[in-house]
Amino acid sequence: MANRVIAWIDQRFPLTSFIKHELTDYPTPRNLSYWWNFGFLAGFVLVIQMVSGIFLAMHYKPDTALAFDSVQHIMRDVNYGWLIRYLHSTGASAFFAVIFIHMARTLYYGSYRAPRELMWWTGQVLLLLIMATAFMGYLLPWGQMSYWGAQVITNLFRATPFIGDQIVVWMRGDFVVGDATLTRFFALHFLFPFLIFGMVVIHLVGLHTVKSSNPSGINLADKDNIPFHPYFTIKDFYGLGVFMLVFGALAFFFPHFFIENANNIPANPLQTPAHIVPEWYFLPFYAILRAIPDLLGGVVAMALSILIFSAMPYLDRSRIPGGGRYRPVYRVMFYLFVADVVLLGYVGAEPPTATLAIVGQVATFMYFGMFLLLPWASRKEEQWLRARGLPRAVQELLDDEAASAKGSRK
Amino acid sequence: MKAARLWLGLALLLPALSNAGDEAELRTVDLTWSAEAVKRGVETVTSVCMACHSLKYIKYRDLLKLGYTPGEVDVKRADRDLDSPLLSQMPPDSAAEAFGKVPPDLSLMARAREGGGRYIYSMVTGFYLDPAGNVDNRVFHGIRMPDVLGFSGVTDAAQRAQLEGTVRDAAIFLEWAADPKAQERRSLGFYVIGYLALLTVLLYLLKRRIWGRLR
Repeated sequence: MANRVIAWIDQRFPLTSFIKHELTDYPTPRNLSYWWNFGFLAGFVLVIQMVSGIFLAMHYKPDTALAFDSVQHIMRDVNYGWLIRYLHSTGASAFFAVIFIHMARTLYYGSYRAPRELMWWTGQVLLLLIMATAFMGYLLPWGQMSYWGAQVITNLFRATPFIGDQIVVWMRGDFVVGDATLTRFFALHFLFPFLIFGMVVIHLVGLHTVKSSNPSGINLADKDNIPFHPYFTIKDFYGLGVFMLVFGALAFFFPHFFIENANNIPANPLQTPAHIVPEWYFLPFYAILRAIPDLLGGVVAMALSILIFSAMPYLDRSRIPGGGRYRPVYRVMFYLFVADVVLLGYVGAEPPTATLAIVGQVATFMYFGMFLLLPWASRKEEQWLRARGLPRAVQELLDDEAASAKGSRK
Repeated sequence: MKAARLWLGLALLLPALSNAGDEAELRTVDLTWSAEAVKRGVETVTSVCMACHSLKYIKYRDLLKLGYTPGEVDVKRADRDLDSPLLSQMPPDSAAEAFGKVPPDLSLMARAREGGGRYIYSMVTGFYLDPAGNVDNRVFHGIRMPDVLGFSGVTDAAQRAQLEGTVRDAAIFLEWAADPKAQERRSLGFYVIGYLALLTVLLYLLKRRIWGRLR
């Protein structure tokens, strides 16, 4: 019976061939490490956010007079409303944690290089969409930090030449963040996840064309590829179990860790909080914004700090495979960059002082310096590595793959 | 090497941890939940604090969950509905006139301040007489709230200890009020974590078994 149903479907829709092509026959490098789990995890967190978000939307009221109360209504009166909200608020942070690790892996192993530039760029668009979604969602609880965060960030668009003031009013729908802003942010916060979902589909179609990168950095021959299912479905699910343990511990035992104290005070346009801090995932970029004394300059630097990642396929001029694994200079640069981002995050979280301002400026200089240094450093590094002879592991891998590629051609 | 990479990954989360520095020195106090302490806290909050403050997210019905009998709640609510919120005895307008601003709602106070219940305890017990003879507060200088319990005037240690106990109980109740589902959350959390741990072990074993097919 089941076979007949499937045969009936297959005549009308490529079900079996789709499963075969994308899962049971989809070739995946067998040497993927657990760092390759994070793309799947990001997809899973997107599902958590969409499902919990839809249930929150059933009880939330996007009205400045009702929003704060409706969140408390969810927390106190809705059955398991506290659970739905904490999954959503913890999920936002988990999303960024997973995405940042996914990006760090791509950077470390040089996975952004040809032929995977479009993977990197669609990922870049996803990051921007997720950032916009998170920013708009943060306004919805209508707490003090929600309000003042949105006030500060929308105000940045005032730096737009000539039409800055008009742009800000157009975005807010009012001269200050108000009811019009809250309602439109709610509408867009509901819309954007569907755009993200569409972009994820594009990201995955791209992935299944170029296939996964792997720690060795070269495209492996057939003998080193194994079917995605069952090998990587089970590996992804095991990784998901570990992730859910951490996520569950945070959501059930430390849910307030990701909610600013000040956001438990209803938004008050007449009272500015002593210290406005964005959520942790925006802190490094916020520190870069603050490092530039000029508003327009700061906004441009902040935008560039995210967009500059797109240039990586061109900035990295080395043809040595494997990214940080076989490239000592690149590896050092990677770790320095990660440390610099953490330092920027710290600077972004602290109230500005004269010392921290200088630290922030140095760290910002380092941040961009790494990107600007890369074309020269990667070329020099390649010359040095080739002159010295490639590391044995790389040479063996290249020879082995070349030999088996020749073998399969016969 | 692997471990170093993991630590660097975790370090990305550090900025979120680092901004926990308290501005005022908060006193350490044991705010362990007990049914009796919470009930004493309710009495203090409803009879003292609620003269000016409201707890609008708490309903009279919620007191039933804290061990109050329907009869006891009826005495408290008088002719108000069981589902009406705990509002201050002083109308907000008169309060604004008296203090220059409406006293903040206390339902979320234990979540709205760095330090939670400890902040409430330190602030309420923090009143003192400055050299000029004016009442001030160690935690919140120039606070408009009066020293209702009279901490600034107490010299007797035993009396002070008794008053501090009263504030401690009130803080325990306010911590509950800010997060009434905390106990339910934790007890459910243990089951969830237990289930996930078991599931993850099974998935790991299955993963090893499936990957074992490759040579």
